[in-house]
Amino acid sequence: MSTSVLTSPTETTSQASPPVNDVRLTFPRVVRSEWIKFRTLRSTIWTMAITLLLMVGIVTLFSAILASQETQRGGPSSIDVFTIAASMASLAVVVLGVLVITGEYSTGMIRSTLAAVPRRLPALWAKGVVLTASILLVSTVAVGISLGVMQLFLGAKGLAPDLADGETVRILVGVPLYLTAIALLAFAIGALLRHSAGALATVLGLLLVIENLFLIPWKPLQHISPFLPGTAGSKILMPQAEINTMSQGAVGAVLGPWQGYAVLLAWVAVLLTAAAVLLRRRNA
Amino acid sequence: MIEAHGLTKRYGRKTAVDDVTFTVHPGQVTGFLGPNGAGKSTTMRMIVGLDHPTRGTVNVNGRRYDKHRAPLQEVGALLDAKAVHTGRSAYNHLLAMGATHGIGKARVREVIEMTGLEPVAKKRVGGFSLGMGQRLGIASALLGDPHTLILDEPVNGLDPEGVVWVRNLVRYLAGQGRTVFLSSHLMSEMALTADHIIVLGRGRVLADAPVADIVGRTAGTTVRVRSPQATQLVELLAGPGISITSTTPQWLEVTGSTAREIGEIAASAQLVLHELTPVTGSLEDAYMALTQDSVEYHSTDAGLTGPQPQHLGVDVALASTEGTNR
Repeated sequence: MSTSVLTSPTETTSQASPPVNDVRLTFPRVVRSEWIKFRTLRSTIWTMAITLLLMVGIVTLFSAILASQETQRGGPSSIDVFTIAASMASLAVVVLGVLVITGEYSTGMIRSTLAAVPRRLPALWAKGVVLTASILLVSTVAVGISLGVMQLFLGAKGLAPDLADGETVRILVGVPLYLTAIALLAFAIGALLRHSAGALATVLGLLLVIENLFLIPWKPLQHISPFLPGTAGSKILMPQAEINTMSQGAVGAVLGPWQGYAVLLAWVAVLLTAAAVLLRRRNA
Repeated sequence: MIEAHGLTKRYGRKTAVDDVTFTVHPGQVTGFLGPNGAGKSTTMRMIVGLDHPTRGTVNVNGRRYDKHRAPLQEVGALLDAKAVHTGRSAYNHLLAMGATHGIGKARVREVIEMTGLEPVAKKRVGGFSLGMGQRLGIASALLGDPHTLILDEPVNGLDPEGVVWVRNLVRYLAGQGRTVFLSSHLMSEMALTADHIIVLGRGRVLADAPVADIVGRTAGTTVRVRSPQATQLVELLAGPGISITSTTPQWLEVTGSTAREIGEIAASAQLVLHELTPVTGSLEDAYMALTQDSVEYHSTDAGLTGPQPQHLGVDVALASTEGTNR
């Protein structure tokens, strides 16, 4: 942002009287405004809470079941549950990402927003910043609580995730990263379509239906499949052993965890750029 | 100060605003009149950059709206009362709007107080009445203490007290040297509020002049006549170029003739007149005359209030008072 241009003229003349303390538009202030908007809607608070509860709930359930069973060496690793928990939480996060932007279009709020920020793009980026920060925070907290729960149930049996293991740490870090990227993907599609139902159907349809259709054993599809956003991004949640198993006999490319995540980020970047271009160009 | 030059907006094949040029000056209230679909709202949206002009430019206080470093301090706009997230409270809405410019709680409370929103400020906007929504829209417009105010139909949905409040508010703000640009369908309201009028019809400027000029220039000569023998008088007056309307028995409004001619005709026929008054046109008449050809959606049913006065045939002249509400 061109904050340097905005800060240069007129030094703060009178700090005594608050109403005239240099009223002007800056990017940090737009972020602040978007944060106020974010936290003052019940729908965002609810979806954040659901994200948290979904993850912790699934992990708790899994841990309790595992703890009650006879110790079975060589069974599924307890880290696997994070893959399941994150893919469930991703649905809540998609709803949040879409509504953050389409909620403004469906209510007409966007006209107030763009009248206050007439260059438009700072408003889009500020929303992205708030969304990113909030989801990173909530999902990190969810991972932390989940680890505590697992320690409680499984620590005695030695089945809790081993934080000294590099791959385990990568998956634990991957959960917030994956959820944030998926939310941003939903946000970009929401900004492109400007319609809640349409955007939700598109994102969920893509992640849950279309990407599964691409698993049909037909070569052209299988070459594309590894590069679809959800398929590629979720690699960061998988243990390398699982990736290897899946890749046996694979026709298309086999992406590593970070490669896959980079592909997801590329999708986000392309869609956000398209959304930014259209936001500048379209009538509000 | 708002300056529009050759402002044009097309939506597909439809031209909403067609090569419009005007200047709105500070220190006075400028009314923006025109029938539905004339392009008023589109013009106002282009001023604050919500719609991009197809051609032409519009500047506010010397530069394009989005080029200002504190847009909300330059222009406060009420474009439609529903430009608010229904799930957020009025207070939080204003707080978020103000935050973009570093405008804090103190000013938010101030505008809430100014607009009489205190009782509902913490309630969600979704449950607001139209009038409360308008007040919130006006509060948002005032938030940045702007040099220029743009209000699209600000009295729409307000109670009589609210209408008077808006009138006094805009007059007060213009008196402080600010630019006030407001649209309305209520001509009577505009006559009381505005100093200067810009009339838009089918996307073009039909008139741009002080209120008095517009009324004087476009109002036809109308004479109000009261006579117990009105029916006979109608027969004598009827002729090409003369239109006679009547709303109440014994009362006639004659356009296209003068008081002197009517008086002489009546005298020569020995008809009694109780009143013979030349009527200065109202702003409403002037508006109707200007926009007659440019009304986008004519009301077609005769008997319903169309833009033109109803012409009365001689035999039905004074039979009925229904169908008009003048």
